[in-house]
Amino acid sequence: MKNFREDLKYVGKPVPRVDSYEKILGVAEYTGDIELPGMLHTKLVLSPYAHAKIKAIHTEKARKASGVVAVAVGDDFPFRVGLYVNDRNVLARKKVRWAGEPVVAVVAETLEQAYEAAELIEVEYEPLQPVLDVRDALKPGAPLVHEELGEYAHSPAFHPIPGTNIASRFTLKKGDVELGFKQSDVILENEFMMPQVSHVPLETHTSIGQYMPDGKIKIWTSAQSPFTVRHILSVSLGVPEHKISVYVPYIGGGFGGKAGINFEPLVVMLSKMAGGRPVKLELTREEQFITAPVRQGLYAKLKTGVKRSGEIMAEKILYVYDAGAYADYGVNVGRAAGYSCTGPYYVPNVETESLTVYTNHPWGTAFRGFGHFEFLWAIERQMDLVARELGMDPVEFRLKNALLPGKTTPTGEVLREDAGRIDECIRAVASRIDWGKKPVAAAGKPRGKGIAALWKAPAMPPNASSAAFIKFNEDGTAELLLGITEIGQGAETALAQIAAEELGLPVEKIKVVPFRHTDVSPYSWQTVASRGLFMDGRAVQMAARDAKNQIFDIASQVLRVSKEDLVLSDERVHVRGRPEVGLELRQLVNGYVYPNGNVVGGPVIGRGFYSAARLTYLDPETGQGYPALKWTFGAHAVEVEVDPDTGMVKVLKLVSAFDIGKAINPAIVLGQAYGGALQSMSLGLLEGYFYDEKGRMLNPNLTDYKIARASDIPEEHEVIIIENPQLDGPFGARGIGELSMLSVETAIANALYDAIGIDLKNLPITAEYIWKHIQAKKEKIPVEAVT
Amino acid sequence: MLRSIKVVLNGVERTVDVEDHWTLLWLLREKLKLKGTKHGCDRGDCGICTVLVNNTPVKSCLVLAPEVNGAEILTIEGLAKEGSLAPIQKSFIEHSALQCGICTAAFVLTGHWLLQQGDGVDRKRVAEAIDGILCRCTGYRQIIEAIVDAARKK
Amino acid sequence: MLPKFLYHAPETIHEALELLNKYGREAKLLAGGTDLVVDLRERKTRPKAVIDIKRIKELNVLKYEPGRGLVIGATVTYHQILEYEPVRKKYPVLWEAVKTVADEILRMRATLVGNICTASPAADTAPALLVYDAVVETASKNGGRKIPIENFFTGVKKTVLEEGEMVVSVTLPEPPADAKGTYLKAMRVWSEDLALVGVAALVADGGKDVRLAYASVAPTPVRARKAEKVFREDGDIREKIEKAVELAVASVSPISDVRASKEYRLHLVKTFTRNALNRLLGVEAVVVA
Repeated sequence: MKNFREDLKYVGKPVPRVDSYEKILGVAEYTGDIELPGMLHTKLVLSPYAHAKIKAIHTEKARKASGVVAVAVGDDFPFRVGLYVNDRNVLARKKVRWAGEPVVAVVAETLEQAYEAAELIEVEYEPLQPVLDVRDALKPGAPLVHEELGEYAHSPAFHPIPGTNIASRFTLKKGDVELGFKQSDVILENEFMMPQVSHVPLETHTSIGQYMPDGKIKIWTSAQSPFTVRHILSVSLGVPEHKISVYVPYIGGGFGGKAGINFEPLVVMLSKMAGGRPVKLELTREEQFITAPVRQGLYAKLKTGVKRSGEIMAEKILYVYDAGAYADYGVNVGRAAGYSCTGPYYVPNVETESLTVYTNHPWGTAFRGFGHFEFLWAIERQMDLVARELGMDPVEFRLKNALLPGKTTPTGEVLREDAGRIDECIRAVASRIDWGKKPVAAAGKPRGKGIAALWKAPAMPPNASSAAFIKFNEDGTAELLLGITEIGQGAETALAQIAAEELGLPVEKIKVVPFRHTDVSPYSWQTVASRGLFMDGRAVQMAARDAKNQIFDIASQVLRVSKEDLVLSDERVHVRGRPEVGLELRQLVNGYVYPNGNVVGGPVIGRGFYSAARLTYLDPETGQGYPALKWTFGAHAVEVEVDPDTGMVKVLKLVSAFDIGKAINPAIVLGQAYGGALQSMSLGLLEGYFYDEKGRMLNPNLTDYKIARASDIPEEHEVIIIENPQLDGPFGARGIGELSMLSVETAIANALYDAIGIDLKNLPITAEYIWKHIQAKKEKIPVEAVT
Repeated sequence: MLRSIKVVLNGVERTVDVEDHWTLLWLLREKLKLKGTKHGCDRGDCGICTVLVNNTPVKSCLVLAPEVNGAEILTIEGLAKEGSLAPIQKSFIEHSALQCGICTAAFVLTGHWLLQQGDGVDRKRVAEAIDGILCRCTGYRQIIEAIVDAARKK
Repeated sequence: MLPKFLYHAPETIHEALELLNKYGREAKLLAGGTDLVVDLRERKTRPKAVIDIKRIKELNVLKYEPGRGLVIGATVTYHQILEYEPVRKKYPVLWEAVKTVADEILRMRATLVGNICTASPAADTAPALLVYDAVVETASKNGGRKIPIENFFTGVKKTVLEEGEMVVSVTLPEPPADAKGTYLKAMRVWSEDLALVGVAALVADGGKDVRLAYASVAPTPVRARKAEKVFREDGDIREKIEKAVELAVASVSPISDVRASKEYRLHLVKTFTRNALNRLLGVEAVVVA
């Protein structure tokens, strides 16, 4: 299948990132660096209660404080915003739904004055019983987080159930699950859990809004998806989109947390109150933890039926996502997990219910992996548990059930011929970790090996699209304008390489415009879902070809040959077979000028777009349909060492393999693989929101919300790039962004069984949690009793 | 209280007015408009505000502005000399040792400091030296390689 | 964003004491600032004045004299301590403990005296100072005091320091000639963390003089004197170690918090005490499969 061109000049090369120089010199612009004339500053007053009625808010003292320009409360903004379910207030109204929800915003000339005035605000609350666990939230008679759920507008793709805490219910039915269980020799049921976690972008959410008296709105923001910000704001405020401008410079880490729309409506409305002066909000680190959106927690229940010979016959799945106070992205996470529910395995009979449930926790949003990190923890642990029950090797069991081209996914889609190969990924990592060879333990420190696989498709509406412009300059250099944002993933560089390859123009001669501005940038749906390289890549290819076509139009007239006989390479257009007959690119891209002053053609601007092909909405009951632009597969294998005295785990070696179709830039792919793997390990081994009994977060700082540091990385990490091209991807590429952070922690948990015989079902698998399991094993206490 | 302090900032002697309760980070970003130093947690956990004071890495959110009276301060803006990148900067580019870029200045400056600390700059030593700075994108591996390689080429 | 205060940078101890007297409880001393600036930002303290003592040259003394011991001035950073060869040679427990504090960048800023004045139960250097019988030397308008480290801490973030009194230095007497020791610290990660449990162990006098001290297992850092006494008596060394482990556990009172549970901390006290003593007393550890 490797029928792609081997003679690539720019694609497939580790060219330096195009954003390197600005970032290395400290001059790259981020939202927090922007200063505007007359800019005001905001301090939020947050709810100390997880669930409480707001009885009164006393703002008089604050309004009189020095420098204060505006003080806003929820009732000042009597409208809701929402990505899929219109459930969110700009500031809390009537009641607060989590500890950390903004209740009052104080706007002042300086940040210091805003801080001082915020201390003068008094809010009276009447505490209500909070809902702090999804299982409690589903019980009949549970307190409701949203009493008015039935009144909210919502996208038809989601299914809220009024009178309950269910923000959306996704169901999927494939085959006959009961029949499948009857045909099974072994049936195994297990439950798995994990808490909410934070994205921890090192740049906290920062937004500046300006609502001018003439009705124009300007936003400068650290948002992954400028066009979504514009669209949702337009819908919420009833302001036409051409009156809203969203500007996004470099983003200091997103990981999904800056997708959708977050604090932009707030700063815009605060600016309106402040007479149209720009208003800035930069979250503190503590607010980033308790006020900004988080990743959902998950409760999963799996029932798997298998034949003795190892074929999975049936899978009954319940996923319950902890959406927190507002549905936002959570409902779509629940849906994505629903249609990918089985992991990268062929299962003939599947019945899945994936619920997104409101609680009085911070609200959940997208997080790199979009539900897959969560449910793959359950699936890939279950695969090991089932294999053990069968007495089968975990690698063999996975290969036996691998979802290969031609087989059907849970939604009934036949996996395309040119899809990636899960079996190749599994075999590659197994081989490089010396699977089957027992590791040699150092004194008193047992070692073990584990494996886990992964898959993912972009979760997006079937009509998601991207566009790109390539604008030539007078000297033959070009500007590439994108709608996808640069959040660190390297999209700008990879897309510049694609443009360079198509145009025969060195990467250094293409400037990627380093900001997005909805007034001038081409549309791109969102910077999420590992879709950018594929979709924006296709749009860039089309834009490049469009520009090339325009250049050939001009050249064919000047050179008096048919366009078909022209070749563009090395910044020169020449006649095929006659390289000496040609013109320099710079003579053509602004129109060709004859010696007498006549001109042919004009400035070349290429335009391209790509819309996801042949995707469908899913059947509301059976979940059948075509949700996936592409499926990307991967696997990890690890060797770990455990200190049984403390429960500390060291990852000695990690091997990762991904079938990404084509590595456009291998250095950037490595960066994604290393970074994603560590994020996966960090989430899986260290991270979690821990609450007190009243629902207040106990660890809202980086002292006690630990994330991995340099000395915490695996001692060795080998990355294997598999390139089975997807024929409609740009140069065969699928993308890697999210894939790298799936399943690493599960491979580690599987290795812990191999090392010391403990079975972990909840995340995070902290040293203490492992130690407790070691103790439980010694004392023969059932695993379920270990908390 | 407003007071005048003298500093050598990125090689240039300057007198600046500071309030007693400002941090060095606040002084650099908000008053001197040196936005290359980033703001991450305000409590010394994330380290992305690291700059060199008297050629020693410090987390500028934990230093009071008046404390640096008489000190030499190097921020990322002062590292490249006469239009040419410092070796550590070149190495970061070569090793693709940055992604979103928000923590990059802190790692580059700490790497720059480490290169002047003599030999023995291996991966373990580098990891220890940068443990005070968080990066959520890269997984650190390419940052470590960039610093080790720059030390090797020295 | 810090609340407003006045900054002072005295150049002598005398000037510092004048300022302390002037502001009384409304003054805070600033050395490395790694604790104070965080507390200021979080409004845990709102002093009128912050007195930066780093410009007082005499407070930066770091000196070991054979027979007289080691003096660590109030502004000596962890980094200075790690780089000072006599510390590594003569006070390995302290050196190891210092090496585990925070991260290298913070260690170039933070001070040992600041660490003990903050009086966090998790202070890594405190158990080391306890096993070396360190003495805290203070100054005040009324003269100064020499306070044994064991009497210095009175509760969580509380010390015996009085209004107007400041720590000038900490002195660690010459350790016994054959002293060996170690500091074992449990963390949630490999890189840097506060101590979930910190155990300082020192063995001297041919195994008869054993000293044990702990961080993060009581409102203050504690020394386990009862456990130490076990080694003054004769008997089987393994039995003595086990007895000491039990007595050490009995002398601590850890709590459960977001960092670790009480049960885990008690286990760590046990296992670290046993491991440290086994190693220092030359007992082969029995590997239990």
